[in-house]
Amino acid sequence: MPVKSMLKIVVLVLLIGITMTGCWNRREIETLGFVMAVGIDQAREGGKIQLTVHVAKPFAVGGGADGKGTMEEKPFWVVSSTGYTVFEAVRNFLSQSPRRLFWGHNRFILIGEEFARKGVQDVLDTFVRDGEPRQRAWVVVAKGARASDLLQAEFELERMPSQAAMGIIQGSRTGLSTIGKSMLIDFIQKLEGEGIDPIATRAEIVPRPQKFDIRGELKREKIGASARITGAAVFKDDKLVGWLNKPETRGFNWVMGKVRSGIIVIKKPGEEDRFIGLEILRAKGGFKPEIKDGRVSVTVRVEAEANVGDIQGFLDPLKSPGVWASMERRMATVIRNEVMAAVAKAQELDSDIFGFGAELNRRNPKKWAELKDRWDEEFPHVDVQVEVKAKLRRSGLVIRSTRIKR
Amino acid sequence: MNKIEGGKIPARQLTAMLALSRIAPFTILFPMITGMEVPQDAWIASLLGMLLSIPFALFVARLGLRFPDKTIIEYSERLLGRYLGKLVGLVLIWYLISVAATTTRAVGDAYTIAIMPETPILVFMVVMVFLAANAARCGLEVVGRLGEHSIWIVLFFLILMFILPFDEMRFKNLAPVLARGFRPVVEPMGTAFSFFSMHIIVLGMILPYLNKPKDAARYSVYAILISGLLMTWLAAVLVAVFGPTVSGLVMPAFSLSRLISIANFLERIEAITMGAWTLSAGINLALFLWASAVGLAQLFGVSRYQPFVYPLGALVVAFGILFYESNVDMQIFFEFRNIGVFSMAVTLGTTAVLYLAALMRGKPSPRMRR
Repeated sequence: MPVKSMLKIVVLVLLIGITMTGCWNRREIETLGFVMAVGIDQAREGGKIQLTVHVAKPFAVGGGADGKGTMEEKPFWVVSSTGYTVFEAVRNFLSQSPRRLFWGHNRFILIGEEFARKGVQDVLDTFVRDGEPRQRAWVVVAKGARASDLLQAEFELERMPSQAAMGIIQGSRTGLSTIGKSMLIDFIQKLEGEGIDPIATRAEIVPRPQKFDIRGELKREKIGASARITGAAVFKDDKLVGWLNKPETRGFNWVMGKVRSGIIVIKKPGEEDRFIGLEILRAKGGFKPEIKDGRVSVTVRVEAEANVGDIQGFLDPLKSPGVWASMERRMATVIRNEVMAAVAKAQELDSDIFGFGAELNRRNPKKWAELKDRWDEEFPHVDVQVEVKAKLRRSGLVIRSTRIKR
Repeated sequence: MNKIEGGKIPARQLTAMLALSRIAPFTILFPMITGMEVPQDAWIASLLGMLLSIPFALFVARLGLRFPDKTIIEYSERLLGRYLGKLVGLVLIWYLISVAATTTRAVGDAYTIAIMPETPILVFMVVMVFLAANAARCGLEVVGRLGEHSIWIVLFFLILMFILPFDEMRFKNLAPVLARGFRPVVEPMGTAFSFFSMHIIVLGMILPYLNKPKDAARYSVYAILISGLLMTWLAAVLVAVFGPTVSGLVMPAFSLSRLISIANFLERIEAITMGAWTLSAGINLALFLWASAVGLAQLFGVSRYQPFVYPLGALVVAFGILFYESNVDMQIFFEFRNIGVFSMAVTLGTTAVLYLAALMRGKPSPRMRR
């Protein structure tokens, strides 16, 4: 019996040895390089894909603030690699990077314009197939640039560009609503969905003047180029076909109900060379496609509330009745124009970024089944009506502007 | 009744074990939804599969209650005679082993696909089966109590997992309902049903060991409702989150939990799903190993079932490796024309044959009519 129980203990200890030591795939944090953003381009060698990544340099991130003198060192490393497939290119980084790249924190998939125009399906696969990358990475297209060039951009106030870009995106999303939100998971869904085409976020390089223009930099000429992140890239299937500028993007966001805030500038009633700035407080949006006599028409409904942010010149709504209502009408017109601009651009590019077709499918699957094969021809001729309810809620702390006594 | 298994369990443990066994396949792989033609109707297929399996559970319970102190292996011999009865018993045991092997392989695959691609799959399978086999050797009471306690953990994990990605859910993805009619739903429904039936059939083994065998029907229906409603809910959530891309996912529940991100703080909680699938698959394996070992012991008239458990476990691991070349292979097997036909042929076939035989032989009770 003692022998038997001894044996049991030995087996148990051995088992603990097997199960508790960890596993084949253990990775220590010091051996990893964290990818913060990845750019995808056509490589200069034929047929290959070029990946450019931002790898965080943890030892350079924290240093600067407490004066340890690492301010000189950039907290990230930009490095490129090529391969016939993305996965191969990722693996090829191993020949340049002393640390294995870890993709779990990647926030941006940046695609060069030239590449995006040829179609992105082939490069997105590994980002959904592999377990490491997150589906919440933003899909961004670099307008008029290679992704690798855009990844050279740096920003003020944040030393880590991906952090800075995230800040800009959050800011424009909540404060301006002029950014097309597109995470990988949405992008893929729209690629696969019927009657809907994907968008991506647009980014451009802003060259920095190398003149005597300090603008608060600690050391001059450190930042060669910066980037502007606004607007949206319009895709048809998986190919980039065009862009939405800022008003068009906000028009798109109105339709999708994604406007959170922003400034609407209207001309001042009665004094057309002066402007009034209105701050959007909250907005609702939606659309309803219908089929009448075989023709598709869509009614877009937008409800928006705003505050008065500033008024140029003098205006007293108490003394000039009707001006408040006329401001509301002008606000509605601005919104309608933005929506129409977005619709016109989408129809011009023949890309159903709103998902009119998908909504039609939800409401009337039978009609959609007849329509879907010729939706490409149908979409540019869809008749879009916009109904806007605009309300000005508050005037701010003063009811009238400062009156200049003459 | 011989004392191959001496334990008695309350019926709620039956519910727990059956529900957990059914939860395992859809938290790991969700065989029905992968490859589905019109995935937005997955929840309908799941609901109908659940409803269909209720009568089947009642039927198996009714058959079992004709012999409230005998397992399905024992009464098949009683009903069909020595040779035919043993053959049916062997088929059932083979079926239980192959289900256990599939579960084992699925768990192993899930681990290797999702988190540790370079770890040999055998490590997961052997550890899993070894632990389950130990539980099975301790008897039904132990497995039952294990199930009774784990189900709360699993339910908590799952409900958490099904609610937390609310940020990503767009329930309009579920429309249009039945856009292409019922036809694309029929096969997934059959798959769902066949998965239900493969777990219900174990009821034939457990029934005599219930405190009150009469409860078998009611409590197995509870198990079906718990697991079926969870599955329906998961199917709806998955479509709401992933839209049409869901039919391309290998492990939808896992992918779902990867998306959870609450306030940039509660993130990367895939471990929760893995916990849920490991626990439920463990109970499933323990139950099936126990059932097949007891079945074998009864088939060959051996007085103890324990010696069969480890060898069966080894078989389960070996079959798990041998049955499927790759996870694509396994997904192909999960199509209705394979697993549905196989499963239904075995479960419906054997129980129908036994029931017919029972009808013809009449009720073997003291007050025998006829």
